[in-house]
Parts: sequence; C-alpha cells; structure tokens
Amino acid sequence: MIEEKKFYLTKQGLEKIKKEHQGLKGLKFAKTKGEIPKIWHSEDINPEYLSFQEDLSFLETRIVELENILKNVELIKPPLKEKQNIINLGARVMVKVDGQTDEFEIVGSLEANPSLGKISNESPVGKALLGHRAGEEVIISSPIRTVYKIKKIKYRII
Amino acid sequence: MEYVNFNIYERYPRFFNRSWEIKRKKRRGWLIHKIKNPETTGEHIFHLAILVWVLGKIKKINLERAIKIALIHDLCEIYAPDFTSYDTAALKEKGKITIKDILKIQPTPGRPTTTQRKKMEKIKQKLEMRAMKRLISKLPADLRKEINNLWLDYENTLTSEGRFVKQADKIINLFQGLEYWKKYGKIQHKLWIRRAKEVLDDPTLLEFVSALEKKFFRK
Repeated sequence: MIEEKKFYLTKQGLEKIKKEHQGLKGLKFAKTKGEIPKIWHSEDINPEYLSFQEDLSFLETRIVELENILKNVELIKPPLKEKQNIINLGARVMVKVDGQTDEFEIVGSLEANPSLGKISNESPVGKALLGHRAGEEVIISSPIRTVYKIKKIKYRII
Repeated sequence: MEYVNFNIYERYPRFFNRSWEIKRKKRRGWLIHKIKNPETTGEHIFHLAILVWVLGKIKKINLERAIKIALIHDLCEIYAPDFTSYDTAALKEKGKITIKDILKIQPTPGRPTTTQRKKMEKIKQKLEMRAMKRLISKLPADLRKEINNLWLDYENTLTSEGRFVKQADKIINLFQGLEYWKKYGKIQHKLWIRRAKEVLDDPTLLEFVSALEKKFFRK
C-alpha cells in the first residue's frame, strides 16, 4: 500500500530516487521489448536494480512507489545562516548522552539509517531534538530517563 | 518462461532440509550474552511473522507480502554468519568480544567509526547475498525470484512492507531482550530502550513499544 505523506529528502537522496526511477523505467521498457541489459547479471551492481531484474510486477510496484515519493517530495535545505544554530531537518547534531559523545544526522524517514547515525525526524529522539539549540538538553523520559545534551549543530553545504 | 517438468517437486526437499536448520540455529547475539538455551533463528522468525501479521493489520499494509518478508528475512543465515550489532565493535577491538565488552558498548559513531560500520555492512551484504543465492539456487525460477525480491526489499527497505518488517525486526529483538533482562539481567536494557527511540519511526510500531514499556517497567 502506498503511503500518502510528505517525503523529506536530502539533495543526494532525491538524486538517488530520480536515478533509480529513470533506471527502472528504462529497465521496464527494455523488458517489455524482451531485452535484459547484461550489466544486471553482475553481483556488484546496485542490489535495488538486481531485485527487479526479472519481476515485472514488482518492478511496476516500485516505479509507482518512486513516483509517489517524487510527487510528494520536499527537499531538505540548510536553513539561513542565522538559523543554523537551531536543529532542523538535515542538521548534524553532536550530543552527549549517557556520558558519551554521539552524532546524529536528522533526515526524513526514507533516508534514515540508524547504524550510520542517520535518524528519522519521525523517531522519538529525532522529533524531540528538532527546534533545539546547542547547549540545551533534550529529555526522553519514557520509561528510562535519557538526557541528550546538545553540543554542536552543523549543516551540510549543498 | 520456465520449462515445466513433472519432477518439479524434486527441487523442494533440499531447500526444506536446509531451511529447517534455522529451527536449531541459536541466535548469536544471545550466545554472546551467554543466555542459557537461547532463542533460535526459527523461533525469532516465527515471533516476527506473528507480530507483522497482527500489527501490519492495524497499519493496513499488504499482509501477504509483509509476512512473506518476515518468513524469509533471515533464511540466508543458513549459509551466512548471524551478524550482530556488536560485530562492528569487535571489528574495531580486533579481538574476541566478551560479555564484559558488550556491556560497555555504547552506540556511538565514534566507536566504531562510520567507515568501519560501512565496511561491516558491505561484508555482511556480500556474504548474505551469496548465501541467499546458494539457498534458493535449485528452486523453480518463479519462486527463486520471489524469495530474492522479498529479501532485497527487506534489506534495502524498498516498499512500505519492507520498511515495516525491518523496524518490526528491531522490536521483536527488543521484546526478546527485555524478556532475557527480566529473567537473567544480562541485557543492557536501558541502552536497548534508548536505541529503540532513536531507530524506530513507524507510529504503529512505536505504539507497540509503549505497550512493551508498560509491560516491563510498570511499577
């Protein structure tokens, strides 16, 4: 089922989605003509493409999903310089939590990859950090009280 | 189009024999924690499939697709190692990881670094992809493609169902971890709860986490 909501993407994320959309449309066109590009037989290529290699219905599902994302996308842009001390989408935030330093990048749900420090703006921690400034503390208290002390806020230059 | 022959069923026993091994394979994460008689991968899959069915119904996702993803998401572990989140730390420590080390581990990008995480992810992806290919290689083409697609959906979170199951997998681990914490106290439960609040963003699954918290932390 397609999610009807706004998708926040970084410039890189949007480019990736556009590229995949174009690639899959090309693949669909080639498939309907009975041609499978040889490059898709390699193990080293993007697994997202590999998965659609021979499954037309899944290929179509993904194309519809990508089109829905592109229709409802909102690009994450760094805020004006005077507002770059406030956590917004796209911010890279250095925090001190449980005595250790941690770093998060606040991204939209589609680009979240917690193991690489990219957390979703819809996660409880991501949501709570938004709007705060360096020096402030954000407390998540249900049921374990965790204090995130904001040390530094940075934005990627695009 | 695949050539249809009358011996198509002969291709299944090997797949089922191998798949059944998952019922006996004890999950490495719990073994590292020295949990007595820990959950097997098969038990984990069963628990996840039930959770996906029940919560996926509320979420109104494609249940057939989601349950199938849950059923096959860890099948590659028949031929691939059961990687845990502690492996990146182990990679940094360059040695054997002990329960004492685990209890010290905090989920900070500074330890291990993002590069190390990426490296581990690449190794994991490569080994698991090979393992999955090997496992399903003798299956009829349509089934082989379906399993492969569902697994890649899970790994790359390509659809709403893939994304849902990926997050549900984290919750079922949290659930099991809290059970062990209650029973043996060997689990860093505070860290697990903290991580859940960082990594989960699906509203339905977050509601379920709140219910879990009530169950385990009600005074």
